[in-house]
Amino acid sequence: MEAIWLYQFRLIVIGDSTVGKSCLIRRFTEGRFAQVSDPTVGVDFFSRLVEIEPGKRIKLQIWDTAGQERFRSITRAYYRNSVGGLLLFDITNRRSFQNVHEWLEETKAHVQPYQIVFVLVGHKCDLDTQRQVTRHEAEKLALAYGMRYIETSARDAINVEKAFTDLTRDIYELVKRGEITIQEGWEGVKSGFVPNVVHSSEEVVKSDRRCLC
Amino acid sequence: MVVSGAQAHMEQNPGYYQKLLDGDKNDKLVETIKTDINRTFPDNVKFRKTADPCLQKTLYNVLVAYGHHNQSVGYCQGMNFIAGYLILITRNEEETFWLLDALIGRILPDYYSPEMMGLKTDQEVLGELVKMKIPAVAELMEKHGIMWTLVVSRWFICLFIDILPVEAILRIWDCLFYEGSKIIFRVALTLIKQHQAFILEATNFPDICDKFKQITKGPFVTDCHNFMQKIFTEPGSLSMATIDKLRETCRANQIAQR
Repeated sequence: MEAIWLYQFRLIVIGDSTVGKSCLIRRFTEGRFAQVSDPTVGVDFFSRLVEIEPGKRIKLQIWDTAGQERFRSITRAYYRNSVGGLLLFDITNRRSFQNVHEWLEETKAHVQPYQIVFVLVGHKCDLDTQRQVTRHEAEKLALAYGMRYIETSARDAINVEKAFTDLTRDIYELVKRGEITIQEGWEGVKSGFVPNVVHSSEEVVKSDRRCLC
Repeated sequence: MVVSGAQAHMEQNPGYYQKLLDGDKNDKLVETIKTDINRTFPDNVKFRKTADPCLQKTLYNVLVAYGHHNQSVGYCQGMNFIAGYLILITRNEEETFWLLDALIGRILPDYYSPEMMGLKTDQEVLGELVKMKIPAVAELMEKHGIMWTLVVSRWFICLFIDILPVEAILRIWDCLFYEGSKIIFRVALTLIKQHQAFILEATNFPDICDKFKQITKGPFVTDCHNFMQKIFTEPGSLSMATIDKLRETCRANQIAQR
């Protein structure tokens, strides 16, 4: 049976090789952590439901991407249909932080005419003793780009839920305010099956009508 | 070794492999390779750090040597798995190097170079072949806007490693070395055609992705002998001329999209 959800958001997870993209997604979607994880070759797909308010569920389609530079020629085709993104760096790897700017440029060039709501994620925060990027400078960078900043650990399950649900909430607010709209031929946001109980707000009714016709 | 030409290349270039290992190294290349050494077959005891002899060192040598030998390719993720498999098969470092050279340099068309043009082309070629031979599946993919790169990238880049059972992979690779890259299309088409009805049950995007993961498992592929026979019958005729022509068209498309 199809699970009942209000909207479906498509998210993409990007960042340098070995920053922990796949591990973060697996922790979020499967609740487990692998000490060693294969390099991702190409693109992989995961999904999960999140409840952002009681009775309001959002279905997340999450795209895991290869971090190695040459795979960008494949992964960039997936930016266009994403509404949100987690841009990861590894707090113990300074270079992965320095490359954040490049990743943003890369997505900007390929997402048009749409936009992606990003959250900056400092990953592997359990390895605090090996930290090469301070929280302060990461927050400053995130602020400069208008992104949220959050530190996570897939190993210790720190902030993993929060990273995804905060981003989901942000997007939901933008959709509610009409700043992001559902568009034909764009997969970023889709309206879903709505149970009767949440027919209270107007946009829900609208999306419901859309799906019945 | 013989049919792929690897043997001949090795004999014609005595000492070449050692020279690569002893030569100057590109730091960036070495670093990229190092990040993947620990992540290659971590479940295989021979690839553990504590193993003796430890195949991690062998893998590292082969990949570094290859990256300096074929500088236009360097190192691409996926090559670690292929080289790792070749090491397990040949148990010989230098032979692995020359087999990798045969595969990447001659048999596979430009899959691993920075632009990955051959890979993108061949994935589009597969899409065209599915349109011709299994149109219902092509329609389903089109309807849900699924790019072939999503479901088959790993098939092409890792040559079915971690996708199909080991026995099937070894038999497929035999054919690959013997008759070239066409076999990849045969395997892909067979998997899709054989499971056509199953794939067509999917009504949404995640279901389709899931089906494509499932069709590479189960009795159909574990019965390796039967599977190999199917590869040559199920997709019907598949001439090299057809593939060459499709590759030419798809490549032009890819270049136009750049």
